[in-house]
Amino acid sequence: MTQAEIKLCSLLLQEHFGEIVEKIGVHLIRTGSQPLRVIAHDTGTSLDQVKKALCVLIQHNLVIYQVHKRGVVEYEAQCSRVLRMLRYPRYIYTAKTLYSDTGELIVEELLLNGKMTMSAVVKKVADRLTETMEDGKTMDYAEVSNTFVRLADTHFVQRCPWVPATENSDPGPLPLAPILVISEKDMYLVPKLSLIGKGKRRRSSDEDAAGEPKAKRPKHNRDNKEPIPDDGIYWQANLDRFHQHFRDQAIVSAVANRMDQIFRSLPVGYNISKQVLDQYLTLLADDPLEFVGKSGDSGGGMYVINLHKALGSLATATLESVVQERFGSRCARIFRLVLQKKHLEQKQVEDFAMIPAKEAKDMLYKMLSGNFISLQEIPKTPDHAPSRTFYLYTVNILSAARMLLHRCYKSIANLIERRQFETKENKRLLEKSQRVEAIIASMQATGAEDAQLQEIEEMITVPERQQLETLKRNVNKLDASEIQVDETIFLLESYIESTMKRQ
Amino acid sequence: MAEVKVKVQPPDADPVEVENRIIELCHQFPHGITDQVIQNEMPHIEAQQRAVAINRLLSMGQLDLLRSNTGLLYRIKDSQNAGPVSFFLSKMKGSDNQEKLVYQIIEDAGNKGIWSRDIRYKSNLPLTEINKILKNLESKKLIKAVKSVAASKKKVYMLYNLQPDRSVTGGAWYSDQDFESEFVEVLNQQCFKFLQTKAETARESKQNPMIQRNSSFASSHEVWKYICELGISKVELSMEDIETILNTLIYDGKVEMTIIAAKEGTVGSVDGHMKLYRAVNPIIPPTGLVRAPCGLCPVFDDCHEGGEISPSNCIYMTEWLEF
Repeated sequence: MTQAEIKLCSLLLQEHFGEIVEKIGVHLIRTGSQPLRVIAHDTGTSLDQVKKALCVLIQHNLVIYQVHKRGVVEYEAQCSRVLRMLRYPRYIYTAKTLYSDTGELIVEELLLNGKMTMSAVVKKVADRLTETMEDGKTMDYAEVSNTFVRLADTHFVQRCPWVPATENSDPGPLPLAPILVISEKDMYLVPKLSLIGKGKRRRSSDEDAAGEPKAKRPKHNRDNKEPIPDDGIYWQANLDRFHQHFRDQAIVSAVANRMDQIFRSLPVGYNISKQVLDQYLTLLADDPLEFVGKSGDSGGGMYVINLHKALGSLATATLESVVQERFGSRCARIFRLVLQKKHLEQKQVEDFAMIPAKEAKDMLYKMLSGNFISLQEIPKTPDHAPSRTFYLYTVNILSAARMLLHRCYKSIANLIERRQFETKENKRLLEKSQRVEAIIASMQATGAEDAQLQEIEEMITVPERQQLETLKRNVNKLDASEIQVDETIFLLESYIESTMKRQ
Repeated sequence: MAEVKVKVQPPDADPVEVENRIIELCHQFPHGITDQVIQNEMPHIEAQQRAVAINRLLSMGQLDLLRSNTGLLYRIKDSQNAGPVSFFLSKMKGSDNQEKLVYQIIEDAGNKGIWSRDIRYKSNLPLTEINKILKNLESKKLIKAVKSVAASKKKVYMLYNLQPDRSVTGGAWYSDQDFESEFVEVLNQQCFKFLQTKAETARESKQNPMIQRNSSFASSHEVWKYICELGISKVELSMEDIETILNTLIYDGKVEMTIIAAKEGTVGSVDGHMKLYRAVNPIIPPTGLVRAPCGLCPVFDDCHEGGEISPSNCIYMTEWLEF
């Protein structure tokens, strides 16, 4: 794990889970898998705290455990999984676009809690939805569970591995660490639950309908004590499926940009006439982008999507875009030229790109020091004399992608730090505004007059209000920027992964 | 010579007569005559007289001296060269043979010109002499030096009134050894606009996609015609020039090219295929990394928390946040 990645993980863990978890998590990322006592010893935290921290991390699938020889259980942190936490907003947004608010809330709950049982999820989501609905309406459990089932069917949520039930009644020596198994087909099996009920609105006061709430509330409490029907069946969000979806989206939008047409997304059914479809497919196959290839004529022509090529093109486009923004469009021209022609001499670069020699040289060296381009030496004589050696410029996409990825990690870390800094700077102001809001809320509850409310509100002066506005805007901007950089990370990571798999 | 020979000069030993006879002989054999032939024709002329006559004719520029594997050949200079030669003669009256030799070599190099070192090799004259002669000839406006575009220090010499060849001057993109970047830029933009409008009209026609795509293509010949008609170039541009411009557009990522097989004889086809160009959109918008200041930061590697340059006090971020 590179330094930048570790820093980023530490920032994320701190923001989401707090100091102790962060300490333990970072320690594990740095040192690989370790048993419990060693962790406690090295980090100087008490065993109890370490246990709690590890619980949190395991619950969120950030740490896995294994039984090693000599009966020691070791814990290992998954750095890449921690980095996924950056992508949570994107997952939630995707769920929203596909399954509307219900889906969005389900995924959000699952991501926030790591693992949950279905009934718990359904209940919570229903409660939340009911709150946002108008008075008098409530969210039916059935609707929520329907969405949940659909999510499971499309594999966006999956079951967590569980302990297999042992058949013999004699338990035998308990294993040091439970061995979790899960079979393919069980992963998306939704248990048959009959969840009947409606979402409950959280009431802050007992005002309206005086008699009813009091009667209902004791029952509500009793509900909690009933055994949950699907105890032990936990669900988690299936991140890989989301990634697949993102990848498809990226490819579709890339092709759409190229083709200037309205395109249906690939998994969804087509509703354009067959003839037009044929032509589109031919067009796609002929396109120089080479995303779609035709393999065989069975069934009137079989078309294949060349995923690796598609990812490669996307990664290349990302590199080109970075070169263009950083160094200028002439540099981008040289970069694309070397990319296409693979190896070029200095003189040839000038000729093809139609850029004066001095400028071309300058730009090539700039890109060289930025590690986008590398030099390949081809000696003419055995003694490698520089005057008698060919120097060819070339682009190694994989290494450039890795370099850019590293830079992305550091950039996000910078953005998060800046955001925290901004918040810290204005801590006093934020606290004040929070106090004022709390006062206003309590006063509204007890029925104060408008004049009094106004007085309280004026405790925050106008420039302070402006400052708060600016702060909010800045924090939002930084947040949005983090998500954007994460998109780049996604493209680059997918490309690197796909290339590594092929080798 | 030991004895003095008294010769009775035969009447036709008159030097002018001899010269005329030699010239007649040369006319008879336009490919050149050897000394032997002259000797056969005029057996009574002594070798020395022959030599004098021939030398005179050479210096007057009426004969060419050539070397063949058998020996020396004398050839009549044809009338085409007579014009500049007489002009040349009037200038060259005062110069010596060395200069003539150098001039000859430069002339032979045609419009590609010749480098001073090559002149030295061919004439076997020392460098100082060569330089003197070259300066002399230049001042007499007989030759000129043209800077080669390939190696800017190299100068090639050619006759004054000749047009330098494309390989020396670099062709249409160079004017006086300077790369005309603005010219290239202007052409670049014009070609791109042409292709863009073509793609636009094709898109708006809203026919079935195959036709739409095909009509958004333009062949290199079409683009060439369009540029010629625009008349923005004072130099005549060939189709290859246009293709190099279109290639730069490809490297800009704005245009894509396909090659299709075309029948010989269809307009614009070269060797049985045609190049078609089409304006395209980029496949992804500017990527996320470059939308954050860190993506473009020049001091990225120096930045870390607690240092002089850190995210907390990054001026780029402050500026960016104020947008």
